[in-house]
Parts: sequence; C-alpha cells; structure tokens
Amino acid sequence: MGMFDGIAGFGVTFSTMFKKVVTEEYPLVKKVTAPRYHGRHQLNRHPDGLEKCVGCELCAWACPADAIYVEGGDNTPEARFSPGERYGAIYQINYLRCIGCGLCIEACPTRSLTMTNEYELADDDRQDLIYTKDMLLAPLLPGMEQPPHPMRLGDDEQDYYVQGPEMAKRGLEQAGEHDLDTDNRAGANALPGAALVGKAPEDQR
Amino acid sequence: MTQAPEQEAPPVPEGHVRLTIDGRTVDAPKGEILIRTCERLGIVVPRFCDHPLLEPAGACRQCLVEVEMGGRPMPKPQASCTMTVADGMVVKTQVTSAVADKAQQGVMELLLINHPLDCPICDKGGECPLQNQAMSSGRAESRFHEHKRTFEKPLPISDEVLLDRERCVLCQRCTRFSDQIAGDPFIELLERGAHQQIGTEETAWGAGEEFQSYFSGNTIQICPVGALTSASYRFRSRPFDLVSTPGQCEHCASGCSTRRDWRRGGVTRVLAGEEPTVNEEWLCDKGRFAFRYPASPQRVLQPMVREDGVLTPVPWVDALERAATLLAGARDGRGEPRTGEDGEELAPKRGVGVLPGGRLTVEDAYAYAKFARLALHTNDVDQRARAHSDEELDFLAGHVAGVAPSHVSYAHLEAARTVLCVAFDPEEESPIVFLRLRKAARHGTRVVHVGSWTTPAVVKTGGHLLAAVPGEEPAALADLPDDLAAALAAPGAVVLVGERAAEVPGLLTAVSELGARTGARIAWVPRRAGERGGVDAGALPTLLPGARRVDDADAREAVAAVWGVPSLPAAPGRDLTAMLTAARDGELAGLVLGGVELADLPDPDLARAALAEADVVISLEQVLSEVTEHADVVLPVAPAVNRSGTYRNWEGRDRPFATTIDPGQGGSGRVGGTAAVTLPDCRVLDSLAVEMDVDLFTQTPQAAAAELAELGTVAVTPSTPATRPSSPDVSDGTRLTSDDSSGPPLTGRVRLATWRQLIDGGALLAEETDLPGTARPPRLRVAAGTAERLGLVAGEPARLGDTLDLVVELADLPADVVWAPSHVPVPGGVVTLAGLGLGHGDLVDVAAPVAAAVAPVVAHGEPQ
Amino acid sequence: MSEPEEYRPDPLTPVLTRRWLLPESWTLRHYTELGGYEAMRQAFAMAPADLVSLVKDSGLRGRGGAGFPTGMKWSFIPQPKPGEEPTAATEDAPQFKPKYLVINADEGEPGTCKDTPLMMADPHSLIEGCIITAFAIRANFCAIYIRGEIVHAIRRLHFAVQEAYAAGHLGKDIHGSGFDLDIVVHAGAGAYICGEETALLDSLEGRRGQPRLKPPFPATAGLYAAPTVVNNVETIATVPSIVAGGKDWFRTMGRERSPGPKIYSLSGHVERPGQYEAPLGTTLRQLLEMAGGMKDGIPLKFWTPGGSSTPLFTDEHLDVPLDFEGAAEAGSMLGTTAVMIFNETVSVPWAVMKWTEFYEHESCGKCTPCREGNYWLAGILRRMNDGQGTEEDIDTLLDVCSNVLGRSFCALGDGAVSPITSGIKYFRQEFLDLCQAQPAATDRVLAGAH
Repeated sequence: MGMFDGIAGFGVTFSTMFKKVVTEEYPLVKKVTAPRYHGRHQLNRHPDGLEKCVGCELCAWACPADAIYVEGGDNTPEARFSPGERYGAIYQINYLRCIGCGLCIEACPTRSLTMTNEYELADDDRQDLIYTKDMLLAPLLPGMEQPPHPMRLGDDEQDYYVQGPEMAKRGLEQAGEHDLDTDNRAGANALPGAALVGKAPEDQR
Repeated sequence: MTQAPEQEAPPVPEGHVRLTIDGRTVDAPKGEILIRTCERLGIVVPRFCDHPLLEPAGACRQCLVEVEMGGRPMPKPQASCTMTVADGMVVKTQVTSAVADKAQQGVMELLLINHPLDCPICDKGGECPLQNQAMSSGRAESRFHEHKRTFEKPLPISDEVLLDRERCVLCQRCTRFSDQIAGDPFIELLERGAHQQIGTEETAWGAGEEFQSYFSGNTIQICPVGALTSASYRFRSRPFDLVSTPGQCEHCASGCSTRRDWRRGGVTRVLAGEEPTVNEEWLCDKGRFAFRYPASPQRVLQPMVREDGVLTPVPWVDALERAATLLAGARDGRGEPRTGEDGEELAPKRGVGVLPGGRLTVEDAYAYAKFARLALHTNDVDQRARAHSDEELDFLAGHVAGVAPSHVSYAHLEAARTVLCVAFDPEEESPIVFLRLRKAARHGTRVVHVGSWTTPAVVKTGGHLLAAVPGEEPAALADLPDDLAAALAAPGAVVLVGERAAEVPGLLTAVSELGARTGARIAWVPRRAGERGGVDAGALPTLLPGARRVDDADAREAVAAVWGVPSLPAAPGRDLTAMLTAARDGELAGLVLGGVELADLPDPDLARAALAEADVVISLEQVLSEVTEHADVVLPVAPAVNRSGTYRNWEGRDRPFATTIDPGQGGSGRVGGTAAVTLPDCRVLDSLAVEMDVDLFTQTPQAAAAELAELGTVAVTPSTPATRPSSPDVSDGTRLTSDDSSGPPLTGRVRLATWRQLIDGGALLAEETDLPGTARPPRLRVAAGTAERLGLVAGEPARLGDTLDLVVELADLPADVVWAPSHVPVPGGVVTLAGLGLGHGDLVDVAAPVAAAVAPVVAHGEPQ
Repeated sequence: MSEPEEYRPDPLTPVLTRRWLLPESWTLRHYTELGGYEAMRQAFAMAPADLVSLVKDSGLRGRGGAGFPTGMKWSFIPQPKPGEEPTAATEDAPQFKPKYLVINADEGEPGTCKDTPLMMADPHSLIEGCIITAFAIRANFCAIYIRGEIVHAIRRLHFAVQEAYAAGHLGKDIHGSGFDLDIVVHAGAGAYICGEETALLDSLEGRRGQPRLKPPFPATAGLYAAPTVVNNVETIATVPSIVAGGKDWFRTMGRERSPGPKIYSLSGHVERPGQYEAPLGTTLRQLLEMAGGMKDGIPLKFWTPGGSSTPLFTDEHLDVPLDFEGAAEAGSMLGTTAVMIFNETVSVPWAVMKWTEFYEHESCGKCTPCREGNYWLAGILRRMNDGQGTEEDIDTLLDVCSNVLGRSFCALGDGAVSPITSGIKYFRQEFLDLCQAQPAATDRVLAGAH
C-alpha cells in the first residue's frame, strides 16, 4: 500500500470538482434553446392582425401522433378572421400527444403554424394540456387588431399573400421592430413565454 | 374481357370486336367507348368530362390516346372517351405512347394555368381528380407567368350548391347532368373562350327563373374539381379526416345506397352510393342534405317518465318497468272503473293499440308486429300514418305483401314500353323512381300519368298526362283510351300506384281490375322508407309477417309455431283511424306509438283527442314531438346512423345497412355533440316485452331478421285482384259523390287535388336550414278559366278553405279543380290540408282573400 | 416546289363575278337577263342522282377552306333505295328523314371577303345554286346561316329570296316540277365558331354555338338530327355555272385536282385590294400583277394564302400555285383564299399577337386546348410585344402550340396556332430581337402564380 492509497479513491471526486458543472439551475435559470428548437406552437397573424390559418387541416393530416384537431369555418362579410374564404374555426393541439416532430409546420401552406422555443409544457391536468386556438394565437403586435375585422391590407387575399412579406416589413418597421419574420422565433427565444399571450397566467387556470 | 394468347386466337364472340390496347389483345362489345375498354384492362386513362352515365362530350381532351385504324395511324391523338371500339384498332395509351403522354401532359398544363392554387382550402382537396391527375400526368413546375383568370367567388347557384368559377375546368358534367338526367336545365355554359363559365339565368342576367331542382346535389358529387361545393359541407372537414361508411337512405322508399362521411360522432355529408340496380350513382337532395336531425336539440337521449305531469329523465330500468306495468294494466283493463255521464258504472277501458309509423326498418316493424300480438294480445297494429282504407289492406295483401323485386323492379321500369303512374307523382314521392322513368322515357318508354295537371314530372318524362278530375280516377282507369289499354296489354307494361291511391275510394280496386284486364304488372310505391317492409313484417291489422292473413287459421298457426306460443289473436285488428276513434271514445285504454307525426295523419284532431283521452301513451321516439307531449313514458330510439338494420324499398328489395357511428365506441360517445347511447326500436321493444314476461327475441336487428327469414313468405300471386269490393267511406259530407259531380259547383266551391311535395317540412328535415330553399314553393294551381271565375290572379294569394293563403299559379287543371300541396311548411311547423279537414277530391272554397283579414300563412312563395 | 403550270393567257375568269360590275346587279331582272335560272330549269330536267354525279365529275371542291369534294359530300346523304318504303323497323332510319341544305354564310375568317360581296352583288346565283343543290339531295328546306354583322348583305339576301318566291323559283311545286323548296335566311349572333359546320347547326337549332361530336356526321345526323349538307356560299354559287356549262367546261379552268374558278380576296399592302376571280392554281405573283403590285413599292414580307388560320408564306412563296395541293405542298393551306399581304413595315410578332388575340376572343370554350391555350399564347405574345419576353418564351410558345395543334375538339385550335408556328419558323430572329432586353435568366416575379 502506498502513501497515496488513502486518497486514490477520491480521484474521481477531485477530478470532477474541476470539470464544468452540468447541473442546470432550472427553473431558477432558464436555458436558452437552440434557435430552431421545436417548442410550443404558435398561430401567426398577418400584419393587420387577421389570422394566417385557413383551417386547411393539413397540419392535422401530417401529424403522426394525431395531436391536432382543426375545423374550418366560413369567413363572412360580418365576421372575417382571415383573408379569403376560409379560416380555422376550431384549432386544438393536444400536448399530451404532441411529439414535437415539426411535420405540422412543414405542412402548413400559409406559414400560419410555426413553433416557438417555449418548452415549459408540463401540467397536472389533462384538460389543460389541450391548447385551444385562443391560447395558440400569436400576440397582437402594434398595428394589429383583434379579428374579426375586414381586410385592411388589400382587396382580397392575393394582396396578403403576394405582398405579404413586404407588408410585414413595413408594418414592423412602423412598429419599431426589426424582426422581419412574424413567426417570432427569435423573439420568443430571447424571453421565453414573454411573447406568448395564449398561456394563461397561473392564477387563472 | 379475354386475353388472347398469341398462338391460337379464339374466335371473336358475337357482337364483339377485337382490338389491341398497349400491346394487349382485348375483345370488347361493339359500341363500347374506348376509355371503358381501357378501364376493364386496368389501364387508367385520365379524364374529366367523361362520366359513364352521361353522354360523351369530348370537351376536356384529357383522355387523348394514339389510335391506329386498319394499319394506318390516325394523324391526331384521339379522345378515348368519345371513340367507340372498332375491329383491328390498335390503341396506345400514355403507358406505351410518348405522343399520348405528351398530349395528356399538355392538356393538364393548360387546365392548370387558370386553376387557382387554393387546394388547401378547397373542399375537394384530397379527393380531387384534378389533383390526382395533376400528380400522375402533370408537370412539376409551372411555365405560366401571366395572370390567372379570376372570378368573383363563391357564387351561390342555389341554397345548397355554391359555384367557384375559378376552379371550374368546364367539363360540362354538371350541365349535362342537369339536362340529361334531372331534366332541370338550371345551369348552363355562359360566355365563351377563356371567359366561358358555368352559370344560371340569375348569374347571367342578375335575375331570372328561380333555380329549382331536387337533384342539384349530384352536380357536387360528379364535379371533378372543387367548383361546385355543398353549402352544408363547405369547410366543415377534409376528406382525409373522414370515415366513410356505406349506408341506406332513410328518407323514402326508393332505397338508395348512400355513403355517409363522418367524424367526431357526427355525419358531415352524405353522398350517393354506387348501386347500379337501384339509384345508379344518384341521390335526391333530400337524401343528400337531410342528415342533421340526429343533432337536433329536440333529440330524446334518455328515457323519460311523466311525473306530476312533467317528463322526467329516469334510468332505462325504471322507464321500462313503468311502461310495462302501464301497458299490462291497459291491456287487461285494470284501469280505474269509469263513470258514465249519467252516473252509471262503465267497464274500464281495455286494450292497447300500436301505431309504429312508416319509417321503420323491417326488423323494427317486425318487432312492433310481434309485440302487438304477443305482449298486447291484439292485432291492433297499423303502421300507416297517412290516409288509408280497408280497400288498401286488401290491395296490399293481394299485390304487395311478399312480392319480390322480380315482379317489378327498376330494371323493369327501364325495359318497359309503357308505364302508367296512378296517384303517383314520381318526382315528389319517389325521386329515384322518377330518374329511372325519365331515363326510360328518353329511350322511348311511354310514361303516362293519371293526374290532374301537367306537373314537372310529367313534362320531364315525356309529357303524357291522362287528365282526371280528383276523385274520378277510377272511372278514368276503367275507361282508358284504346291505344293506352293496348299498350298496357303488351308484355312488360307496368302500373305504378302511389300510397295516396287509398284516398280515392275504388281506385285501388280499379288498378287491380286494370291489371287483371291488361296483364300489366302492378307495383305499389309508398313514400316512406319503412312502409314496404312493414307490409311484409305484418305491421298491419290484417296481415301477419310473411304475407299471411290474420283471418287465415293455418297462417296464424304457422306463425304461432315459430313464435313458440299456443295461438295468436284471431280477430282482425283495427286500423289507425279506428284505433284512434276507439281511444277517443274511451274504448281503448292505451297506445304505443313509434315515429308518428300527428300532422301526417288523416285526422290530426282525432289523433290529438285520442292521445289526450288514452290512459296510457308509450312513445318510442328520436325527438320530442306532439306525441311525446301526451306520453306517459318516452323511450328513446336510435336514428339510422347509430344502428344497423334493413329497409325494404318499393321493389321489395332488401337494403341492409350497418351502423355508421356506434355511439358506444368511436366518436367519443357523442352524437352530434351529445353523449348518448340510444337503441333500435326492436331492442327497446324486446326489453319492454321482457318486462311484460314475453320474449320477442328481437334483441338485435340481426336476430329479428333471422326470425323473419325463418318465418318465410307464403307464396303470393301478385295479380290476385282485391277480394273485397270497394267500400268507400262516404260518411264525410264533402266527399265527392256522383250526385254533386253532375251539377255545376257552387260559386267558389271547387274540387281539390292534393299530394305531398318532396321537401315539405317533415320531422327529419327540421334541422336543415338550407334545404327548404331547394323545395318547391307551395302554390295553389288552377286553370286560367277557373281562376277568372273565382276572381283569382296569378302571382297573388288566394285563400283555400278558411285560413290557408297560397300564391296562385296557373296550370292545365280541369275546370273547377284546384291543386295545392297537402303539407305547407310555415314558420315553426307545417300546415296540412288534412288538418284543415280537406282531402283529395273534396269540395273546397277558394277565393281571393279579403285584404288584411287573417295574416297570410304564405305570402309570396318561399317557405320560411 | 414543282414547276408552275402553263401560264394561261388571261387569268381573270369571270364566272362567279361576271355580273358584279353591272348596275343593280343584285336584282332578279339583271340575273335573269344574263342567263340566270336557266341552270335551274336544266337541273329540273335531270335526275337528282345525275346532278350529284355531274358535280362529282366536275371536280368542284368546297370553297369554305377544307376543299372537300362537293359532289361526294352530296352523295353521302342517305337516300331510300328505288322502291324502298319505310317499315316499322326503318321508319326512323336516316334515309326516310327529311333532308336539309344549310348554307354556311358565316364568313368570319380574318381577311376573308368573298361571300359577302358575292351575296351583295349576285345573291341570285346563290339562290339558284341552293335550288339545284336541294333538288339534287332531295331537300325541301334550305337555311342560309349568314353572319349577323353584315346587315347589308342580310337585307339584300332577304330581298333576293323574296324576289325568287315572287318569281315562282321558290315555294311549292316550283315551275311545275313537283319540287318544293323553302329558303330561310338566318342571321347569326356574331361567333367565329359558328362557321364550323356542326357549331353552325347547333346555333341554327337555337342552342349554344359549340361544335358537335363527330360521328355522327351532318350527312347522317345534322340539322335536327336529319341528313344535312352544309356548303359554303361560293361553292353553291358555282353550281349553276357547272350545270349550265358542263363539267368539261368547268375543268378547263384551274388544275387537274382543283378545277374551277376561285375568288381571291387580296387585302393589305397592295395597290388595288379587292376580289379577283382567277382559276385555281394562280400564283401570288400573278395576283399581285393584277392588283397593281405592292403598295408604294415597299417589298413584300409575309402573306397568308387563306386567312389567318393558314400558315404564313413569305416572299419565297410568290410562285406557289394557289390551289389545294399547291398550298399544302408548300406547307400551308388554301383556306378561304383570303390573301393578306404585309410589307416590310409590319412586325411579325405584332401581327401574330393580333391574330392570336382574335382566336382567344373567338374560341368557343368547349375544349381545354383551344380555350386555355389561346388564352396563354395571347398572354405570352402580349408580354413579348411589351418587351418582357425571354428566349425561353419562344420555346414555350412552340410547345404550347404543339399541345393545341391536333388536340382540340375542332379545327379552330389547329388554325389558331398556325400563324404562331409559321411566324416563328420564318421570322424567329424577330421574336428573338424582342427578347433582347430580357435575358433568359431573369428572375421574374410569378405574378400569376398565386
């Protein structure tokens, strides 16, 4: 037995003491995810606040976990929720089933459905984990108006789709923002949950 | 189809030609369209305008193939949907020919240049031939840099059908359907060139003839793109989210196959099923669009018992127990002793009558029939919730009960040289029979209608009307024109008689006699889906299951043996009116009612009085109704989508169907958003009988059907004439007799002709908001001369009887006759002529209404 | 190209046009004075079948564009065999149905102007031709479907028909021959497609003017599903002269397979545009001589031999004999002999665009290739002429043309693409020059692709 035998057994301990700590201080310190992290979904809006979702159900079709339920509805002159004829009247994502694969956002033809970096998706009630449309819709940015309201940015939906990116740019510049993409990934990443109005405060649930 | 081996070619069969398609030799019947021959070989040639039930058009040019005739290739690719096969033809489809493939790709590219890219929101997306064929024969990238043609959209061309002209590929299927099949040319091509579009008179001119067709929904189904969409299905769902289940239409006795598409416990749309022997590929708008009634807020979803005058939901066990106790007491006369007006003691009321209604499956009707005989010990069972007579019972026993489709079927109608319609307006009363008659008429069949005016159905089936004054149809049949009598004597002639023949005393006897005289085959076409099955299942006072007569002791014995009872009640039962009269007069203690609408009955007031007077009223219902208001116990029964069973159509053909939505399993247990497990009538009756210590063995429709099959049918010779001479019930003073037909009618008194229209506010249409727009507006029809005499003006309202105001329309009625629909939908219900005490052949007062007297029921046309 | 046939001393052969320059040439009096209605009397003396053979032997070919032998067309009309009586089985057979003669006077091909002046100047030659033809095919009803826009010609034709009735040339038992004939002059409503014979028949029946599916051909199921002959005005107006002059005389004009005179309508950049009647096979060089040469001496650039539906010719084709075979051999068609002549000041892409816009407007819309193809072609050509085209647009044009040619329901689609394909064939550089401003790689905004 050598003289170091007594402390040889602490080799692992000591070496570990000088390694980088892997423990995360969650929830005291929230980790910033990779920019393309597949977090909670968001239903985006056109620059005037109309919904981008057209209720096409392609996300629901693409979903391998059958986590999405959509029903379309008819926009009427009295109640318009999106440009064009159709809007998503019912929109639900069941986060008990969602596996975060992102096939739904690939399927979305209008870039209405995107994923944020919000990852705090745990709860103690099954019902609370079925997110409805009002919870998933993106917050109203400056210049946006809560639907239903008439189309503000053009005469028909083509104006929204063809000139949409341009209009978004103009609208955001006016609002003093620099993020050109209304899907708001970066914004959500910087302040997790801050941009998401859908998730109701704890005391209301 | 035969594949000929190369070494020894078998001879070409008679009437066939031999051709080569993509290197394969095939024999095809002469005159076959090339595209069908390809189909039989399993070669799918893309197409849009081609439809097997429509005449070829050659408009879309998508189906181009290369053809070689007599060794010489044709210089241009040929449209395979218009070319008939010929001997020695060599065909190369896109599979083997680069030219054909290029031609198809080119046409597809051209079709897509003006087609909007709105597949994600299009109702057709996912089941769209254009999408599929763009994938199979289209380019991946567009070369089109110009502007797409745009139109305003959507354009409602009727209350049920929306048109999106941007998506239209102008294949003309819809216009050809309207012209060739339905005969209602309501949509046409307008404009030309790239601005050509589908439209109606209204879309072309801003105003025009009212769109009206009972078959408009079929244009949606045959549209190969999403140009014609359904208002009720619009944006409700995507096809890939739907479960498609075959079903049978519950709305009439035509017996159509349907396809029900549903999700989340509710049907989202109904499509026509393919059934070449019955409805081909068509469906009327009633069958297609009237499917929301199971989601009615009026649905009964739990058993209810009347407690202190209020219906209270209770568990099944309690409800069945209560119903059984009440029924047993009423059956045995154990009710309270009654005191007469003079204070003398009367015997307690005794007996229970059964009114199953006409909407039942065969199994349910059988259960009612068996329940009446075994549990209630009576033959008092009558499914006919409509005008009826003893004469009709004899007719049904002699000509209808147990008759197989081999006697008269749709195929017979198509093959017949002559068809005579008696008391039957096919378009209003059995729309698919109408379509088949029209098809036959277009191919030379002479369809003659005995009626009072040239209805649209008469016009569209060749325009042969044998005018008869209402009530005098028997005389018209007895004295047919010679050529018609001769035509009916020719083989294959058919006489179709409607259920309302029972309204005219002697008419069914006259039909029997006509059949016996000429040899023409007779078929009875009832309106409701369950009527024909009910006749065979014994839901009539004089008939036992399997066409056995109650007054035949051997027949009773045979049935009793199968049912495992010593004997059956021998006395023929009372019919509906007799039962209701007995109940009103205190002779009958109880009534068991199925889906009966009091407004449909010949005397609704009598029915109301009877229900009020009866001690025990048990109602098996889907929705709260006038009957449930009087019921002591309400037992919920399942609508057709939530159960299995069999309808028997007018031909006698069984139309079995399985459960579409099992409320206990899929669909989260919801029916149209409401949790419910309802049971078929036969199961409810079985349980009820068990509570009364009787076994019906009808726990499931399958069990009931098996027993009914075991009973079998006694041999029926359909040409047997009615056994009883007509005994017209002439107690009613207004009923037409020979006396008052001789003199001129009093001023304002005219004879009434009436029958029901297809869409007239029945209970199963209650939830449909758009369908009434497709209905024909209720009108009072009168000849010009009579209108003048009565002071009526076309387009202005006239008053029929005391209260009913209808807009006048001129038609070719006989003098001093008016026609009105027997059911007039009004806000919140239906006004029936029967409810006003008026019937077919009655004398009625008609006058221009005094201004501002009674608020008009119908002012200008549209049902509310 | 084959050697031009022997030059005839006088290319002008006034047969159809011989009365045109008379004052009030359209009256019955003048027509009769110059031997009018003599052929009718001669014809009544002949057996109908002999008349059909006479016209067949004369080699007369349809003047409406396709050049189908007229006598053969007449012989397709099913006639009862001698002594054949209708039985219950055959009473609906075509030979026992009434026969109809329909005259296609819906002259709408761009550049064509031969039937209108004929009906203006000499309507009775048409009416006499109708009587002879109807007699030959045993028709008792003749409809003249005339283009609705030419109201002056409609009026004149109406007047002529009235005159013919008054003179007993029409009506019951004409001149004791036992032959009845009624003529109805029916004005169209302004659709180019109604010059297509089956669309014309649909229009005449009161339906939407769109071509019908063939077979059945009009000869067995035409007007009201009865056997029908549809002939061009000029064809029928030629018939009396054949009956009067005989087949041998008729064959002295024109060439072996395309005999007879023909009215050439010269328009565009020539000194004296107008109608020139000359034997079939006359060349443009000869016609230009007659018409005084190119206007102001500016050289010829391109021309159409038979209206805009026939492929273009250039100055290389001055000596192409203008008959059915000659034009076809040179890669075009004789069409309606509407010779439109363009000098060097005219841009080919511009002219082609204008023609294509005509076809876009006049496509009936029934079939996809013609309806959508012309819409697209016109769009591309407009863009090119606006200087927004690219080189690949030329390939797209040609490819779309190949997808329309031979794929459409009727010949309208085929005709519509011929100016484009022939224009690019002969003048590709001009199209390329238009695209100079726009290199092929330009990333254009897909304006329509939404």
